[in-house]
Amino acid sequence: MASDQDLVIETVRGLLARHEPFDPTPERRWDAGLWSALAENGLTGVGLPESAGGSGGELADAVAIVRTLASGAGAVPVAEQLLVAGPAVIAAGLPLPPVDEPLTFGHAEGVRATPAGDGWSLSGTVADVPWGGAAAHVALLATGPDGAVLALLPTAGLPASGAVNLAGEPRSTLELDGVPAVAAPLNPAQVRELRAGYALARAVQLTAALEQVLAWTVQYAGERQQFGRSLAKFQAIQMELAEMAGEVTAVTALTDAAVQALHHGSDDFWLAAAAAKVRAGAAVEVVARLAHQVHGAIGFTQEHKLHHLTKRLWSWRDEAGSELVWSKVLAQGLLADGPNGLWPALTRVV
Amino acid sequence: MTNPLTLAPAPRSEAAERLRGEVRDFLAEEMAAGTFSTHVDTWLSGVDPEFSRRLGARGWLGMTWPKEYGGHERTAMERYAVTEELLAAGAPVAAHWIADRQSGPNLLRYGTEAQRREILPRIARGECYFVIGMSEPDSGSDLASIRTKAVRNEAGDWVVNGAKVWTSNAHASHYGIVLVRTAPVDTANRHAGMSQLLIDLSLPGITVNPIRILDGGHHFNEVVFEDVVVPGDMLLGTEGDGWHQVTAELAFERSGPERFLSTYPLVAEFGRRVVDSGDPAALAVLGRLSARVLALRQMSLRIAAALDRGELPNIPAALVKDVGTTFEADVIDEIRRVVDVLPSLDSPDPLARALAEAQLHAPGYTLRGGTNEILRGIVARGLGLR
Repeated sequence: MASDQDLVIETVRGLLARHEPFDPTPERRWDAGLWSALAENGLTGVGLPESAGGSGGELADAVAIVRTLASGAGAVPVAEQLLVAGPAVIAAGLPLPPVDEPLTFGHAEGVRATPAGDGWSLSGTVADVPWGGAAAHVALLATGPDGAVLALLPTAGLPASGAVNLAGEPRSTLELDGVPAVAAPLNPAQVRELRAGYALARAVQLTAALEQVLAWTVQYAGERQQFGRSLAKFQAIQMELAEMAGEVTAVTALTDAAVQALHHGSDDFWLAAAAAKVRAGAAVEVVARLAHQVHGAIGFTQEHKLHHLTKRLWSWRDEAGSELVWSKVLAQGLLADGPNGLWPALTRVV
Repeated sequence: MTNPLTLAPAPRSEAAERLRGEVRDFLAEEMAAGTFSTHVDTWLSGVDPEFSRRLGARGWLGMTWPKEYGGHERTAMERYAVTEELLAAGAPVAAHWIADRQSGPNLLRYGTEAQRREILPRIARGECYFVIGMSEPDSGSDLASIRTKAVRNEAGDWVVNGAKVWTSNAHASHYGIVLVRTAPVDTANRHAGMSQLLIDLSLPGITVNPIRILDGGHHFNEVVFEDVVVPGDMLLGTEGDGWHQVTAELAFERSGPERFLSTYPLVAEFGRRVVDSGDPAALAVLGRLSARVLALRQMSLRIAAALDRGELPNIPAALVKDVGTTFEADVIDEIRRVVDVLPSLDSPDPLARALAEAQLHAPGYTLRGGTNEILRGIVARGLGLR
């Protein structure tokens, strides 16, 4: 298994080497070439069952792909497809679109889903749809007549705003006015799982980017010479890098545990995901700040690669539910068994 | 893709989880019987030999040691579950803590057969307590600069002179494992010439002077050795190998859940307050603190799993202790920002008491067992920076 996963990681790294990070422009918002290469290598359906049209493989494989792409700042909707929208569409019993066409996800509680003939009709506005202008299909968590529904629709012909996050990744607003879709009702537990899955996807990306930023910073400190020695030899710099390492190690441990909770189908998965998102988001403050401090002025420019990841860190931490949102969800969940339930809950969640 | 300080994930231990339930039942009985009340930082301040003996009777001390020495041949993961439950409950575990955590394992590794047979079963029964004899008045972080000296006399015994400080609960302990200089300082190798002695604290020539910490509590001491004659067979391990042995001991000293749970009883009390108030700001703070606890548990469990694999993960342990002790202190101000409570040691409000205890103990969290600056230096070495 490990060797399969290593092979997947090596393949993705190889593709990333030929598709380097770039500063997005209105003309080039995403890396269509990288997506095509990933799809040709069968990597855009990993972790999704073959019976549903996916490529099979384990959740761990999909997570490895998402992590590798995140650490390489790959501008493709793979986290959304493999960890959020793909699993949600399959779980809801909807037909999975061809996996070589990008599929994304949006929180669309403000969108009304109404049964219409054999299908559904969607009206309303949904903001912050990742890769809205790039994805071929979007799965929306919308509001039906009897509660939440998951709606699936092609994006061709839909007007998408050009909004982007701090890293230039599309975070579009879609206007829907009686757009036809397929849809399926979701129960509250399914909604909770879906929201948590989205948060975990961002936590996985944050984790990978934090690890990479640490590695880059350690490397830079070893190479950069000042006062006749490398930055790494200065105690002040060592303290900063050690602090970064502490944060990154904490995040990795918790994100790994949350992925395991998902893998095992734990009832507490949503709390594990909430915790992972909160912890990863909190680490961004320290890690991004100190990474830039150690890199000095060059890291503050588009000439250096650091910004591709620090801008993503500053964006991803607030996406799919901010630390504020998830910390309250987490605390409420942990206190669900009353005033003395906190510790038993903490030892149960992961 | 992960950094060099990340250990492999810990597999879930069903045996440990079963044991956790037993410990919870025991603690609930104890609390119902009123044998102890919850406090912050009880692995320093909660000395209760009766409680320690009851833990010993349950088989919860010396858990990982061989049965022939009074141990129970459990895993480090099982021991982790027991210690974590005791700390979270703020139970009085200070009497036996050092002996169970590091002196016993040190004796197992370096002690003579006679020392092991005599002392380890007593530790496991909760009857025999130890102090750490490392720091001195003039040697803190720079441990290699110690001056306490042991010289062999004609009878082959050791004559010890010097002083050790911050010896927690020396006034209630039976033995110390004391790092002494047994050869003159070698300027080419300052880690050479040190040895560990197993010293009976009732020997003539030993004076224990209390040093009170900020809340007035007497936990620390200065232990002064004046021509103390220590039997020759009380050398622990190998003469001249003291530095190496101390380093191994530090892996046990630095790796446990007490390095992030010292102030957990304050978090628990805060949680009860949040249930009552429902204040959204306080809820968010509790969520953030909880996420930090959950991450630290995963890090600490990974250390326990590494110990079970027979590793001595010194560098990851230093990292977890740095992150964990920082958390212990952060808890206070995170909570303060969202509650309006006057900290007071004698308040009827348990949150006010817990805040007061946590605050007055706070400077210690990031000092004891190696300052966070020293720990970060170790982490930096692990990152390949030095």
